[in-house]
Amino acid sequence: MPLTETGLKQPVKANEKDLLKINMPVIPDDQKVEVALKHLNELGEKFRSLMLTFESCVKCGACAENCHTYLGTRDPYNIPANRADLLRKVYKRYFTPEGKFFPGLIGAKDLELEDLEKMYSYFYQCNECRRCSLVCPFGLDTCEATMAGRQLLHWLGMVPKLHASVGAAMAKTGNHTGLPKAATVDTCEFLEEDIMDEIGVDIKIPVDKPADILYIPSSADFMLNPNTMTGAAKFFHYLGVNWTISSEIVEAGNFGLLFDQRATLRANCMRVIDEALKLGIKKVVWGECGHGWRAGKMYLPGMLDRPGRIPIVHIHDEVAYYIEKGALKLNPDSITRPVTLHDPCNFGRACNMCDTLRKVMNASVSNFVEMTPNRERNFCCGGGSAILFDDPEMYDLRIKFSAKKAEQVRATGVDKDGEGILCAPCSICKAQLYPMVEEHKLGVEVKGLIDLVGLSLYPVKHD
Amino acid sequence: MAFIEVSGQQIEVDEDGFLLNPDTWTEDVAKYFCKEEGIDELNDDHWKVIKYLRDYFFQFGIAPMVRKLCKDTGFSLKGIYELFPTGPAKGACKLAGLPKPTGCV
Amino acid sequence: MTYFILQILPYISVAVLTIGLLYRLGRWASGRIVHNITLTPAPTTQTGAVVDIAAEAILFKSLFKADKTLWTGSWIMHMSLFAILGGHVMGIGLLGLQFYYIGLTSAETSEYLSNLLGTSMGIVVLLGLLYLLYRRMAINEVKMISAPSDYLHLLMLIAIITAGNLMRFVPEWGIHYEPVRDYVAHLLTFSAVTPEMEVMHKPVFVIHLLLVQVLMMYLPFSKLLHIPGMFAHRWIINRPYVEPAPGMPGVTVGGSGHNVSGGHSASGEVQ
Repeated sequence: MPLTETGLKQPVKANEKDLLKINMPVIPDDQKVEVALKHLNELGEKFRSLMLTFESCVKCGACAENCHTYLGTRDPYNIPANRADLLRKVYKRYFTPEGKFFPGLIGAKDLELEDLEKMYSYFYQCNECRRCSLVCPFGLDTCEATMAGRQLLHWLGMVPKLHASVGAAMAKTGNHTGLPKAATVDTCEFLEEDIMDEIGVDIKIPVDKPADILYIPSSADFMLNPNTMTGAAKFFHYLGVNWTISSEIVEAGNFGLLFDQRATLRANCMRVIDEALKLGIKKVVWGECGHGWRAGKMYLPGMLDRPGRIPIVHIHDEVAYYIEKGALKLNPDSITRPVTLHDPCNFGRACNMCDTLRKVMNASVSNFVEMTPNRERNFCCGGGSAILFDDPEMYDLRIKFSAKKAEQVRATGVDKDGEGILCAPCSICKAQLYPMVEEHKLGVEVKGLIDLVGLSLYPVKHD
Repeated sequence: MAFIEVSGQQIEVDEDGFLLNPDTWTEDVAKYFCKEEGIDELNDDHWKVIKYLRDYFFQFGIAPMVRKLCKDTGFSLKGIYELFPTGPAKGACKLAGLPKPTGCV
Repeated sequence: MTYFILQILPYISVAVLTIGLLYRLGRWASGRIVHNITLTPAPTTQTGAVVDIAAEAILFKSLFKADKTLWTGSWIMHMSLFAILGGHVMGIGLLGLQFYYIGLTSAETSEYLSNLLGTSMGIVVLLGLLYLLYRRMAINEVKMISAPSDYLHLLMLIAIITAGNLMRFVPEWGIHYEPVRDYVAHLLTFSAVTPEMEVMHKPVFVIHLLLVQVLMMYLPFSKLLHIPGMFAHRWIINRPYVEPAPGMPGVTVGGSGHNVSGGHSASGEVQ
């Protein structure tokens, strides 16, 4: 990494071995530019949204003050229009008449290896939260430029080690953490005991059982967020439905959306459908994961290679539906601590879930405080698109990206007594907010929404 | 690929400094790592956690859920953080010679 | 030279504008909408989507919510520019008698109103443009992301407007509606412009027209493409939300049965 010496911050790249595990060749440095141009042309021609984003931006700068990465770092390249410009400049230079003849005038430039390194740095500083798209007068989706940029870099073998190893783990075990079946079963048994200890109810978490409902948990729930998994188990148990999880797809996320929207995205989508068909599933219920649900809801239908035709719903929608039907007796009085809600970007701006989140929240807790701005205008947690890097430089950036979030949480006042709950119904948000809460010294505990549903459904008795 | 030298042995590590192969782990490796993870000296409690992690890993192929680690070793989450300031996923796994956890953790 | 600008260039500039726009629109149309990237909350009906997009186009709704100062400047600039374009059609086409024709005023008042509107809008749009230019230079973020062409577009419009305003304010530089109408009629009927026509002897008018034609010619090759681009892109991200999303590749294969997971149509019993 020669350029980090010039101040360019980059996450650790996947090495040759890591790349081979996700079936990517290594492109030597002296061929990268040539290969990149070939791919860029294809990307521009394929995605209308990308071409429009390249050709219609007027550089009004309305996005600058609305991007938390820019607000947190004041780095000019973190202005969404400028970040997209890294790619736009090159695209215009080679693929538009104005860029071919007047590059200097319109700010187009030749592609150099250095630019690719810069793209690698800044496209992995973008959270793909799409707040810039919301505020853009033309609705230009800078996220599309980031996604295309990451796709391009992936094809050049420039992928963060984190994303590449997640891709490899997914292909091998069917989840991002590399959880083999034995560990899944063992963890489920442990959680069953845990539920028994906590509320004295015998609740099973079936694995690989032919059933009506396939629950797709986030694999992070098997590492860091056990209450989200037990919350879902309590919900299904309460309804008395015949449900299961599959050891082949203990993963609600889909990193394909974040670095490779072709092979990886498709393979992960197919995996869900394959498992559902194998277990005779009638309905797939998706767990708490923002980008994963965006992939499952918005991308999956167009990615399948053969008929799926199995309804796919999100667990939040399910809970809201049964609350409305009166089938769930929740005890909001059992959670009296002040709770505020972080709307995950992918739920708010990509999956239309804001109303649902509030329906579930209001039924589950008694002291809910909104943060401002909220719903689709909410700011990202700073970890979006899984830039959960932990080498010191990138970690420092993550914490800066979450400055706006910390400010929002503080303004709600829920952290005053150190008793607050910051509800973040998304695994990436949780993984980002755990350290963020420590670093910004907020008196809140980070929890998922289904955690709260579980607690409210089966209150823990205090003697 | 990077190597670290522990008691005369060359041991291969990845870009994040985690052992590439958990089998190459020795107690000296843990001692070697503890400085960079903010631990002055390894005591019995540290060894208890490290041994537990390694046992679990060789049985199940992955590090255990954090809550299970706490319950089975008898430490609270806070206690684990006191032992391993960089946390169970990063610090403890590194000292135990396990691969770095991936995914949303 | 004047002859070239008035007689030959108009056909070239209209041709370049038309062919250029068709080329750009054709390129856009050849790109696919590969994924469903609708921004939510989204409308669920075509009417809802059209209303949303209209609110964006006419009121700049998103910008209003995001940046009030910029909204004020740019909305005023765009709306007065639009009014001026309309005014040109009315003034030249109907000789400023539009209010008289619809029975609102007398012929004299109509022409007076037409002149008054044209003059005042000319000043308003100039103020709007000057604000945008000031903003581009004064706000650091905007300055950092600006290319030379971003300033040039503004300067070009300012030049066009200034020439227009000069014709309004300096009577001997100005020109009446009628000779211009005759000139346009000549162009439309492909008949030759003659040396004694008044338009040939009004340098400011010739400059005004020249600049407009230059603008028309580079419009399809500049960021001024945001005019059609806005509608094209909003149609991707502000379309009605229905499941499965129509028009996505392969969606009929994977999509059926997915429709129960819609934002508001969520859930059901186990089937």
